[in-house]
Amino acid sequence: MSSDHVMKTARRCGHHYLKAPLTFLWLGFLAAALIWVFWWATQPPEPTTPPLRLAATGDITGFARAFEPREFAFPRDHGPHLDFQTEWWYYTGNLATASGRHFGYQLTFFRRGLSPTAPERASKFGTNQVYFAHFALTDVGSVSHTSFERFGRGAMALAGAAGEPYMVWIDDWRAEALDAKGEAVRLVAAQDGLALDLTLRAVKPIVAQGDRGLSQKSEQPGNASYYLSFTRLATTGRIALPGQAAVEVSGESWFDHEWSTSALGPGAVGWDWFSLQLSGGQELMYFQIRREDGSLEPVSGGTLVAADGTLQRVSADEVGLEVLDTWRSPTSGAQYPARWRLHLPADSLDLIVEPWIADQELAVSFIYWEGAVRLTGTRHGQPVSGVGYVELTGYAASIAGQF
Amino acid sequence: MLPHSLLLTGLRDLRRRPLQTGLMLLGIALGVAVVIAIDLANTSASRAFRLSTETVVGRATHQVRGGPRGVPGALYRQLRIDWGYRLSAPVVEGVVEAPDLDQQPLRLLGVDPLAEGPFRSYLSDTGGQILGLNRLLVEPGTVLVGAGLAGHYGLETGDSIRLRLADRFDTVTIAGLLQPGEAGNRRALDGLLLADIATAQELMGLAGTNTLSRIDLILTAQEAQRLAGQLPASLRLARASEQAETAAQLTEAFQLNLTALSLLALVVGMFLIYNTVMFSVVQRRRVLGTLRSLGVTGERLFQMIQAETAIVTGLGAVLGLGLGWLLGQGAVRLVTQTINDLYYVVTVRDAPLTLLSAIKGIGVGLGAGAIAALGPALEAANVEPVTLMRRSSLEDRARRWLPWLGGGGLILGLAGTALLLVIQRSLVASFAGLFLIVIGIALTVPLATISLMRLAGPVLFRLTGVLGRLAARTVVKAISRTSVAIAALMVAVSVTIGVSVMIASFRSTVVNWLDLTLVADVYISAPTPGGTRPEATLDPSIAAKAETVAGVAEVEAIRGVVVDSEFGPVPLTATDTQRRRSAALYRFASGDAEAIWRAMTEGAIIVSEPFAYRHNLPVDGATVTLRTATGERVFPVAAVYYDYSSDQGAILMAREVYQRYWRDNHLSGLAVYTRPETDPSQVADALRTVLSGSALQVQVNRALREQALAVFDRTFAITSALRLLAVVVAFIGVLSALMALQIERARELATLQALGLTSGQLWRLTLMETGLMGATAGLLALPTGFVLAVVQIYVINLRSFGWTIQMTVDPWVFVQAMAVSVTAAILAAVYPMWRLRQAPVAAVLKQD
Repeated sequence: MSSDHVMKTARRCGHHYLKAPLTFLWLGFLAAALIWVFWWATQPPEPTTPPLRLAATGDITGFARAFEPREFAFPRDHGPHLDFQTEWWYYTGNLATASGRHFGYQLTFFRRGLSPTAPERASKFGTNQVYFAHFALTDVGSVSHTSFERFGRGAMALAGAAGEPYMVWIDDWRAEALDAKGEAVRLVAAQDGLALDLTLRAVKPIVAQGDRGLSQKSEQPGNASYYLSFTRLATTGRIALPGQAAVEVSGESWFDHEWSTSALGPGAVGWDWFSLQLSGGQELMYFQIRREDGSLEPVSGGTLVAADGTLQRVSADEVGLEVLDTWRSPTSGAQYPARWRLHLPADSLDLIVEPWIADQELAVSFIYWEGAVRLTGTRHGQPVSGVGYVELTGYAASIAGQF
Repeated sequence: MLPHSLLLTGLRDLRRRPLQTGLMLLGIALGVAVVIAIDLANTSASRAFRLSTETVVGRATHQVRGGPRGVPGALYRQLRIDWGYRLSAPVVEGVVEAPDLDQQPLRLLGVDPLAEGPFRSYLSDTGGQILGLNRLLVEPGTVLVGAGLAGHYGLETGDSIRLRLADRFDTVTIAGLLQPGEAGNRRALDGLLLADIATAQELMGLAGTNTLSRIDLILTAQEAQRLAGQLPASLRLARASEQAETAAQLTEAFQLNLTALSLLALVVGMFLIYNTVMFSVVQRRRVLGTLRSLGVTGERLFQMIQAETAIVTGLGAVLGLGLGWLLGQGAVRLVTQTINDLYYVVTVRDAPLTLLSAIKGIGVGLGAGAIAALGPALEAANVEPVTLMRRSSLEDRARRWLPWLGGGGLILGLAGTALLLVIQRSLVASFAGLFLIVIGIALTVPLATISLMRLAGPVLFRLTGVLGRLAARTVVKAISRTSVAIAALMVAVSVTIGVSVMIASFRSTVVNWLDLTLVADVYISAPTPGGTRPEATLDPSIAAKAETVAGVAEVEAIRGVVVDSEFGPVPLTATDTQRRRSAALYRFASGDAEAIWRAMTEGAIIVSEPFAYRHNLPVDGATVTLRTATGERVFPVAAVYYDYSSDQGAILMAREVYQRYWRDNHLSGLAVYTRPETDPSQVADALRTVLSGSALQVQVNRALREQALAVFDRTFAITSALRLLAVVVAFIGVLSALMALQIERARELATLQALGLTSGQLWRLTLMETGLMGATAGLLALPTGFVLAVVQIYVINLRSFGWTIQMTVDPWVFVQAMAVSVTAAILAAVYPMWRLRQAPVAAVLKQD
């Protein structure tokens, strides 16, 4: 046989060999079996709940608690109270440009003490203080609400708080006193093109909420916070939106400073919090703590601040709060109240409170709704209007054990 | 298409010879297994490293890296807050050893959990619930460990782990277990100890100076450019992928070497397939001829042979997958050990079979089968329908092909040599050249066998009479099969010779080199996991402590660090210059040892041979740019020195020069010279007493040398294992070939027996035949093995690692190789002979 013939046969045979269906069937079967085996072998194990997904340890041993009213001294008490576990500095406000474009803003700093006392550490990074902050802006004109969250450790001046002079910050988000007493502050925050730089000046004196600053959160002694507010701060400054030139804004802000250790009583699942500024110069702070069984904590209530600064405490049974509408968050699925009738018969105050825009939910490490609201209604028969902020927690998941 | 019945005919035939089919199955399974095992070992080691690098690097795009002194912690705040690079995270990283967990090296990663969100997922997978990290942040000495590691050692939250941290021991407490997130990989967390940044600083002794290992960043290109301009000169902005890339380059040559060696085992396996299939074709000529008469075309017969081969090799390959996986578990340990010794620390506990490896293995197996069966299948296709052909016609044709085969082999060998000479730097081309040479030599085996048998025939005739001549002629008569068996055995044995000579040469070179380098009497160092290079950071005061010990004449400080160079990170060793180095240590030098030493004290460096090779440094006037504490500096290269401790290359400089440029007076180790009248081991004991309480290791010269050689031997453990496997495959090949031959010759032998040959004579005949085959293989393996050794030493090793090896040949290697091949061949004859004796002569004769 000639080598030529061999080559031809080889070519022919090779060609046909590739067509041999049985061989392919066999190879296909083999491949399929292998793929199945590997698919099976590489399936991820059943997801397990990470053990770190725990909330507060519940161990409050060693932390100070709020049992009775105390004296406050400023600006020191604007600063942190490290012997307490939880503390926050809450700035909210309604602002507008000269042309009437309305904004709501929120800049909140939280502090969490991980242990009652700071352990001795050789490392400068060592700390037992964790800070986090939320920065949100509601742009009513474009019906948008944007929020950001930051974390920082209370070491190496990465995040922290101080009373003298008053300052609280995480990275370059900060609130810092402009005067010795801490009644004028500058707020600075910026992220991803959204920025605010505001100057706030208290136009009314500081309010000690509750009983001389002791705000009871359940009937059990110790389940309380120290709670101070500037209910009306004249605000001017600038706001910048992504891709837009900064605009001058002015309006009014509200500041809450509150510190506590395990304030909420058992069974509390969330709260509704109102800070309202009325056109007549009054302000109303009202909160109600909702319990698992649908009832309210009996200690729920608030403070009505008169135009002259006189304080009037209101309890929950003096207030009628009726939900007129609800809104379901497309992101979290939580259903929030979205319009209220707030009725204070003793003071002939009858208000309709409604959000400037519905979606002011913060999608941060815990989900809650915190939004700018406007009010209309009557007081002593006279029409009143106003603005404010409402905070709704525990609608997406219970806040039990977190505060 | 191939009719079912035809395939069944083929398969039935395979079933009728279960032993032969089984051997072929085993041969291909072993070949595939070796390929798979090495592939698994390589890929698991690489993947483990990539995963752990990814875990550690996370989504960072860039890293700010410092020199030996790290990155100042204060810079982190400046960078994050003042300069506004908010997507930044501080990192402290180090390798520690857990003495109670099998001495396992663990990667300690210190991070700020509050800055981690954008970078690494294992913490944010926990839903951002920062509160659960309480313990980690607040309690000093707490760590999180991977759930896999914890499960392996039965560790739980609250348990403690003892760690060796450079020169001291410490204990950490488990604050929690790291669970792989939804997208995470469990293996990525193996060998990881996650700590808060403060804890890590404290454990690594970086708290006092508030130093970080690096700062991770997520930057756009513009930001990166801006930041690079803002950083102080001692710091560098590096791409985050750099680390993984460098590591991959480091092990590339090592892993390629292993892969090439594993392919050799498969090549040996191919000879086996060829032999078995060819035998089955020859056995079935009658059947095949009948089939042709019945109208089956040659193409169909070709398909039939290929299909049945594919089925057997497919089965063998699947078997090989399982076997390879088993072997892989052992291989990965050896490979990982070597990688840990020579390159970087990686934890690999097992080598899971991946789809890719499996496809590769099966593909290689089927491909090898198809190629090996090509000849037999063509043979089957060419069976003439009428002439129920005798085997002799095949042999006739085979003999006509022999000159072509030999010529082809010569051409392949020359092509391989040319490839080695022409393409200077490509390692793949070098291996291709090596393979061509081996296959080329294998192709000349039939011609060589015939020539050798012509010589052996008369000699044996004189020694043993007609039986001897018969034996030689039998080998020649069945040349198409005997030569394949001989070639397989020859290749396997020559690989053994080549590898043995290479390892022995390498070892003796290293021994000589150790004699030149290890000149001090006692060495003090902090054992770093895996590596033999001192790189720990020790307090300078230990030098003074050591000097106070009686019997100590002189103490030389050694500082080992990794610095940034124009060629990437490079290990740098700085030593005191009291004592001169032997001139024999220099491969290239501009001047005598004295001049080099003087140049070094004036700021020159000397670089290791692999460094010079890798970076193509000129012999004269080379310089290397290094990033010092005050920015980039150009250092002249005074000499190139022999160094077998690292194939990535290293730089040596005088310690005073190092201190001047890096402002770092820490130590990594001490070399102690004792007074002549003292016993070094007594001095070592005294040093241990002085340094007690620390985790420092005090070793006398001999112990350190033994340790270095132990690492060397460990490095070649896998090579030796592979070499052995190739011999096993070859043995199976020879066994199967001889069995085939003996079975084929059953009638002939029966005739001889009927003619009066005693069974003793039959035994002698067979033993002589197989002995001749083994001797031929052994004889041919000697030059081939020598060539392999030369190529490995002067081409492959140089191109892989940049090492010069002095070739030393121990004649015993050749004697052993000869003995192995003859023994293998004779052993392989025992079973066929035994089987043959079971068959009654008459029955065998009647068969036809």
